[in-house]
Amino acid sequence: MKKLAFLFLFILSVAANSNDLVDQACDSDNLANACIPKLSSGFNFLKSYKVNGATKDKVEYSYVFTKGTQYMINLCPNGTSADGVIVSLFDNERNKVATSKINGQFVSAIAYPCNATGIYYIQYTFDEPSSHCAGSALGFKR
Amino acid sequence: MRLIAIGIIALLLGSCSSGKKPDEQAFLESLDSTRTAGPGVDEEVINSILEQIPSPIEISMLLKESGSKYNEAILNSSNNLPKYNSNYKKALNLGVYGTDLGYTNIFGRNQDGIKYISAIKSLADELNIGQFFDIATIGRLATNSKNLDSLLLITTMNFNQINHYLQSQSRDNLSVLLLTGGWLEAMQITCQTAVNNPENAELKETIGEQKIILEQIMLLFTFYQGDENMVGLSTDLDSLKKAYDKININYTYKESTMEIVNGVAVIKDNSTTTIDITKENVDEIKDIINQIRTKIIS
Repeated sequence: MKKLAFLFLFILSVAANSNDLVDQACDSDNLANACIPKLSSGFNFLKSYKVNGATKDKVEYSYVFTKGTQYMINLCPNGTSADGVIVSLFDNERNKVATSKINGQFVSAIAYPCNATGIYYIQYTFDEPSSHCAGSALGFKR
Repeated sequence: MRLIAIGIIALLLGSCSSGKKPDEQAFLESLDSTRTAGPGVDEEVINSILEQIPSPIEISMLLKESGSKYNEAILNSSNNLPKYNSNYKKALNLGVYGTDLGYTNIFGRNQDGIKYISAIKSLADELNIGQFFDIATIGRLATNSKNLDSLLLITTMNFNQINHYLQSQSRDNLSVLLLTGGWLEAMQITCQTAVNNPENAELKETIGEQKIILEQIMLLFTFYQGDENMVGLSTDLDSLKKAYDKININYTYKESTMEIVNGVAVIKDNSTTTIDITKENVDEIKDIINQIRTKIIS
């Protein structure tokens, strides 16, 4: 019985440590904060987003976009290039209206002049398992 | 809708906090009937809804662009502060004053803004979230309209911190009240401005678009059916919803096009929304908003 208890504690400990390792490997909080000043000039900051796909296929947020407003979504991956992490924008009916991967090319920002007010979904996906960590910022201008 | 953000902003204003630990004893003693949120409410679900609601600052900017003039009379006087004796009223009016502060900031009315900063600090302290409000920083940013971006940043981050803290204390209903107070005040300012500028179609549309936000706010209230205050306000919001049921938002999807310009994917949005809203609709919404707001600020 004691052995079983020790085994259980050991497994719990390993699981907890592995979670810590995952968190340490992806400092999405800092990446998100660092992404804010990278919004293009003229855009006012609205939100910053943590993107940690270590344990999931996609990370998603939503925001109400307003007609007549231009939005910018920046992507700041855990590395030097945006390759591997993709940000896509979906409308309320789940139609894809924008993406940062165009004809196989990755870009680090989307500029979206909104023409239809509604709830939009900002979705982050990962092309490669090694590229699952990023920060992102949303800004607007009128 | 951006006004709300501002309201929230103000609320949220203080993220550069002093790092002081809240006084737990004072906190416990201060709790009243608004303490209890819905048991088992998923923080992630609440957050996902709270997160998607735009900042009231966005609306404030629209008001200024519309050419409307600053009107102090439509704001909630900071002299009303002593009337707010329950946590319910304090949280709602913290949202209201936050929006008012944003409005004064957008129009560069620093002296008026200072009065709101003081009121915000008082309410935040009484709700035991004063530690999140660095009043010196807020004051510096809020009294210079060139600092709008920084103010937005600080308030947004603050709101996140406050919301997380309130959720950890099972007081997440206060987050919802902060947000709702800020939104109602933004609505009230927008409606008053629209009535004074009947030729401005954009303002009218903005009021119509708020149908989407109202639906999200009402969704939040469904999590607090055990809270008498929340249920009462939800009933009031329901009357507003009935007015909004007469407004149609028509969405037409058309595939967007995009090109890469200087490393940025520049989208051309070919979808459209049209909003069917009449002057009579605006008048009805304005009247209901005024009724609800009067209950809140009195």
